[in-house]
Amino acid sequence: MQDYDVIVIGAGNGGLSAAATLAQNGMRVLILERHNIPGGSATSFCRGRFEFEVALHQLSGMGTTEQPGPLRSMLGRLGVLEELSFVEMPDLYRAFIPGKLDVTLPADRSGVLETLQKRFPGEKEAIGKFFELVYAYAIELYTFLRNPSAAQGTFPLLQRYAFKSAKDVLDEFFTDPLLKAVPGAYWGFIGLTPDRLSFSYLAILFFTYIEMKPCHIKGGSQALSNAILNAFLAHGGRIRFNCGAGKILVENGAVLGVITEDGDEITSKYVVSNASKITTFVDLIGREHIPEKFFDDMRGLSRSPSGFCVYVGLDREPAEMGIDASTTFILPDEDISGEQFKRMKVLDTENDMVAFSCYDVADPEFSPPGACQAVLVTLKYGEPWMRVPPRQYAREKYRCADAMIRQVEKVYPDFRGHMEEVEVATPLTFMRYLGTPGGSIYGFEQYMKDSLFFEQPRVSPVKGLFMAGGWVANCGFEPTLMSGKSAAGAILRMEG
Amino acid sequence: MKEGLIQQFEGYGEVARDIEVCRKYGIDYTLEKGSVEKFINRLHPGRMTLRVADIIEETPLDGTLRLVPEDGYLPPFQAGQYITVSLETGNIRTSRPYSIASPPNQTGYYDITVRRVKDGLVSNHLLDRVERDDVLVCSGPAGNFYHNPLIHDRSMVCIAGGSGITPFMSMIQEIVDCGLDREVFLFYGSRTLEEVIFRKRLEAIAGRFPNIHFHPVIENPPEGYGGYKGLITGSLVKDVVGDVPGTTFFICGPQGLYDFCVPELEKLGIPGKKIRTEAYAPAAPISNQPGWPENISPDDRFEIRIKDGKVFSARAGEPLLMTLEKEGIFVPSECRSGQCSRCRVKIISGKVFQPAGTPVRRSDRRYGYVHSCVSYPLEDLEIMI
Repeated sequence: MQDYDVIVIGAGNGGLSAAATLAQNGMRVLILERHNIPGGSATSFCRGRFEFEVALHQLSGMGTTEQPGPLRSMLGRLGVLEELSFVEMPDLYRAFIPGKLDVTLPADRSGVLETLQKRFPGEKEAIGKFFELVYAYAIELYTFLRNPSAAQGTFPLLQRYAFKSAKDVLDEFFTDPLLKAVPGAYWGFIGLTPDRLSFSYLAILFFTYIEMKPCHIKGGSQALSNAILNAFLAHGGRIRFNCGAGKILVENGAVLGVITEDGDEITSKYVVSNASKITTFVDLIGREHIPEKFFDDMRGLSRSPSGFCVYVGLDREPAEMGIDASTTFILPDEDISGEQFKRMKVLDTENDMVAFSCYDVADPEFSPPGACQAVLVTLKYGEPWMRVPPRQYAREKYRCADAMIRQVEKVYPDFRGHMEEVEVATPLTFMRYLGTPGGSIYGFEQYMKDSLFFEQPRVSPVKGLFMAGGWVANCGFEPTLMSGKSAAGAILRMEG
Repeated sequence: MKEGLIQQFEGYGEVARDIEVCRKYGIDYTLEKGSVEKFINRLHPGRMTLRVADIIEETPLDGTLRLVPEDGYLPPFQAGQYITVSLETGNIRTSRPYSIASPPNQTGYYDITVRRVKDGLVSNHLLDRVERDDVLVCSGPAGNFYHNPLIHDRSMVCIAGGSGITPFMSMIQEIVDCGLDREVFLFYGSRTLEEVIFRKRLEAIAGRFPNIHFHPVIENPPEGYGGYKGLITGSLVKDVVGDVPGTTFFICGPQGLYDFCVPELEKLGIPGKKIRTEAYAPAAPISNQPGWPENISPDDRFEIRIKDGKVFSARAGEPLLMTLEKEGIFVPSECRSGQCSRCRVKIISGKVFQPAGTPVRRSDRRYGYVHSCVSYPLEDLEIMI
């Protein structure tokens, strides 16, 4: 019988950082990974002469060498910082509404103000005040999350804005709908439209991306996954690829180990699951081992959207294509009242907001010489795709991708003519590779009622079981990587 | 403390009520047990069991296995994709990819056409040992060699060699069966006229449908043969097709076909992005590939050590994947041509030869991960599976 201290299910961001932290602290750790490569979403794939980035758009939390952000510090402690090179992106994003709006927000506070104030001179003062609020609110929020025991009354902004939506606040400060649409566009990285998105998240996005700059990684997110895995292996960790978990063994409310898909029984004192919360408790453990109350609490949560992504290899450099921003949000119009939320629930991609990323702008070595790659993303719930008959799947995929390419042509007119490789991922693709119900890419949704003020209880219903990844953390690279570190920390504390 | 403070925040009451209501009327996730896998299997089953419903002799060298699903359901595919057949023969558990020759609109069966390879482990097993009603274990359809309407032209020049005709058979049948708006110029290179697979069917289709043009090109034709002879040259393509802009070129066959035809097409001024090639295993002997070190013979032997596992000897000229399979070490594989990355393993120490152009992720290169199906030991190795 094989035995480990900890079995980690899934080598996504959360699983990898948990495993590496535990191995570094002398634990005997085994990772089970269904796929043949580590990373989960943090991965890449090759087509023709291109290696496509799957998921990383803007890495947060890096900061600088002098003023390291939380993620840089964590990667430093794991010993992978030296292995990686980071590319700072000079801009937050370009917001584009055909015929109406075209502004690029630089990744510094005064630059954001200048750009917006120049474009919307009539609301100059309001713009200044809005970003003052964003900063002050974010700082207050961090203080609160770190130390909520401070006396009441020291959180006047939380008092007022904690349960306001992004739209509430944009409406309070601005009048021009086009102006509201610019900060509103950042919702594309979270998965809820401004009318439903807690203002807290919008404030955090602007605060962290301006203060710590959006980054990318040389070699893409796969380089990060491979580096963390490498550190894990160097500390004696073991991984089995092509080997999913079939069952988490539980007896008397405590984990005993894992049975792999191939029927191998491996014992362990702890299990860290990087699988979705639904998969972990419903499929791998089974309701008979879990108190009903646990599922009652989960009942109120809803699954986040998935993504529809078009990965395009182009036979020109970005400058030749007129692409000068790493991220462009192409908006069909200035609506922030939830029209785009409805769009996430239908198959068609006509009139969707398209998040357009071109990594080669900040890193000219990202693609082969004379070429670049662009990733077109729109967020979509899995259900409409699950209703497509399998035999029509390919046709629908191409039809919806074509509509997104047409959106892009409004900004970059030569785009289509220079496409060399095109690969399309639908919610079903994410469902296939991530194993998440509905292909969710952001875990559970974070409506106001599920926002960071109401985090799910960290206490596991099964002794020895810990969770890591987007289903128990905020979405994105930094939070999921951090969630693994927390899970590892909890285990190390129990071990004394 | 935190809870207490939150309750003071403006709007708390409404949010608290939302939480309660959602919990009351929300989603019972326990009912979703197994649903993801079940759903995905309709499109991408990891494994299918297919029964041989019929065996059709195509040429003296080739036979078609008609495969029907044991459970009545075949997943869709795009014409040009392949399935990988796994089997055990001569005590070796191995697999081979075969393009599906039947069209996607044929939902009752998949045809795979197998060409006999001299001393071929799997081809001879499939052609000689497999009988009607036998069951084969296969992967779901996969591969990137298909017509992508977003980037490929409606006019296609298809260049096939030997059994490389199978993906084109699927594409052409789909075009005529479903009335797709596409034109195909098929050049099919074959050593002899007898070895031309699907000749009668292709002639019949080309005779009936003006958008399908079929041109066998025979290397050693019978005396007095009136068709095209020799090799598929650029000038032949240009003479037949005429103006080539607005055309995408698809090539499928043995390595020699790519080595010859790709430069021929490039001489016509066709840009690289218009030339699409199916994945192929490098031709033996591997020592003929550019970059193979002069001081190593394919028959040299090296020691392979599996981390936490056994130690054995391997031939330099044999792909690592094959050596592992012969040693009874199972590594999943699909394309076996260095494309799909399914058989990815880590080289902890030692050097392997990988043919030029094998698409390996940059960070995989850095950390020593290779596609074991196209990696050949050049030194003693330690590897991690």
